[in-house]
Amino acid sequence: MASTSRGDSLPKVQCPNHPDAILVEDYRAGDMICPECGLVVGDRVIDVGSEWRTFTNEKATKDPSRVGDTQNPLLNGGDLTTMISKGTGAASFDEFGNSKYQNRRTMSSSDRAMLNAFKEITTMADRINLPRNIIDRTNNLFKQVYEQKSLKGRSNDAIASACLYIACRQEGVPRTFKEICAVSRISKKEIGRCFKLILKALETSVDLITTGDFMSRFCSNLGLPKQVQMAATYIARKAVELDLVPGRSPISVAAAAIYMASQASAEKKTQKEIGDIAGVADVTIRQSYRLIYPRAADLFPPDFKFDTPVDKLPQL
Amino acid sequence: MEQNNSLPPFPQGLASPPGAMTPGLPLFSPMMPYGTGLTPQPVQNTNSLSLLEEQQRQQQQQQQQATPQLYHSQVSTTTALPGNTPVYTTPLTPMTPITPATPASESSGIVPQLQNIVSTVNLGCKLDLKTIALRARNAEYNPKRFAAVIMRIREPRTTALIFSSGKMVCTGAKSEEQSRLAARKYARVVQKLGFPAKFLDFKIQNMVGSCDVKFPIRLEGLVLTHQQFSSYEPELFPGLIYRMIKPRIVLLIFVSGKVVLTGAKVRAEIYEAFENIYPILKGFRKTT
Repeated sequence: MASTSRGDSLPKVQCPNHPDAILVEDYRAGDMICPECGLVVGDRVIDVGSEWRTFTNEKATKDPSRVGDTQNPLLNGGDLTTMISKGTGAASFDEFGNSKYQNRRTMSSSDRAMLNAFKEITTMADRINLPRNIIDRTNNLFKQVYEQKSLKGRSNDAIASACLYIACRQEGVPRTFKEICAVSRISKKEIGRCFKLILKALETSVDLITTGDFMSRFCSNLGLPKQVQMAATYIARKAVELDLVPGRSPISVAAAAIYMASQASAEKKTQKEIGDIAGVADVTIRQSYRLIYPRAADLFPPDFKFDTPVDKLPQL
Repeated sequence: MEQNNSLPPFPQGLASPPGAMTPGLPLFSPMMPYGTGLTPQPVQNTNSLSLLEEQQRQQQQQQQQATPQLYHSQVSTTTALPGNTPVYTTPLTPMTPITPATPASESSGIVPQLQNIVSTVNLGCKLDLKTIALRARNAEYNPKRFAAVIMRIREPRTTALIFSSGKMVCTGAKSEEQSRLAARKYARVVQKLGFPAKFLDFKIQNMVGSCDVKFPIRLEGLVLTHQQFSSYEPELFPGLIYRMIKPRIVLLIFVSGKVVLTGAKVRAEIYEAFENIYPILKGFRKTT
């Protein structure tokens, strides 16, 4: 069987006569053999492959082919601890029915907080259906921040929420602070503070949010058809280009654009509904709408099919 | 009393202009109120609480302050000084170092106005906050909420937090002298209530200034180019937070063109920070 290349951390075993030759593993005998001259270089190499081969499809609770835990060793700092499992059979219980050998405590106490945070991150991400890549990125960010210890005083949940926010931003699918607040117990203020601290600690920066980042999510949550979503994206982009809404948060502009697009189509949504989905107050939508309303005719895409013509759009 | 707030902008390292008859007076210095050696001044940190002295000193310094001068645009004049120094004008010869700025750029001509000064002083004796709150006018004390007496005076309009250790924080003044005068007034009030109050270690902790560059600014562009100093999160705050390193000042820059500068210990830092940021902001002017 061909062997794979060795990692850099291990001492490089090589044949003394042929240092460039890739050693062949013969694991029946546990040897590393040089293919050029046949010299046995390694001896009694421990086999790290699986002990069992299972062919059944049923998911038995015990999987004997596993030789260790499935946890990601990169994140946990190499968890090699073992623990005594619950006993089977009668001999493991003492008189009162309690099990002897109760040693199930303190595994990897130094990283217990980190493991807890990872669990919390997974729970939060699950609530808003975030994909695995964002969760992994969040875990990595959290690990970096945790190891740096510059934010040690802050609540781990706050740091985890902020890491989740940053990960979403970095992956190009930003979530608003309010959306992260909805799945976390931490206030928006604290998440914002931790966000700024983490950016400073990790010396990274994130891209500025744009109106288009949120369109697909808001529109599909509202049940608006694709045409309306595309129109709203176009309206918001045009409004920002023409500088009709200086100083307004992109979320508010997006919400106002969705309102305008939905009011011009067959699927009319109220400001309250849009405000609920976007996390924006309906007076804020009203303010931004008032700013874009005068130029409404220029903002719609040229191929848009109007259910309500531009002059009949509501004016508030 | 009318305070001259629009002092000339900060010149960096001006020598005394040629032809000056008295040494060491940079005509454009904003530091003039603190005594420049022109007339012999009493030493600054007097711990005695004579308000009359304080006001006299302030009036002297007011008369000394030059009329507000812009960089190299007006003929320099000196005001009449109390005492015997004759009035003179410096001819603007080509040798006169007028502005130290780089020849390519000119100064902004805008002077930030000071909005708030926070200062602390140690009254040097333990205080009984309850008696102060009961006997003084315009004092509130709610020990369950906050462990200090909050006292206000009308002239200069300021608020002071007086702690039982004898330390006091004075906020709300619009100039350094007003802050000092207000702190002295508070100390006087405490003294009149029977405590042996002194006036130790008066120090200005923070100065806030604001100004308007009169044109809209593209904050997105600014945050792209000055990433390591700026933080712009429209979800969190509508302004861009620029942390300048050279004078350590934090600037809040808004789309409308208004700029707030804070974190300064001396007036010169505010001016310097604004002069540093102005060319950068001009580069991000909105063109429509």
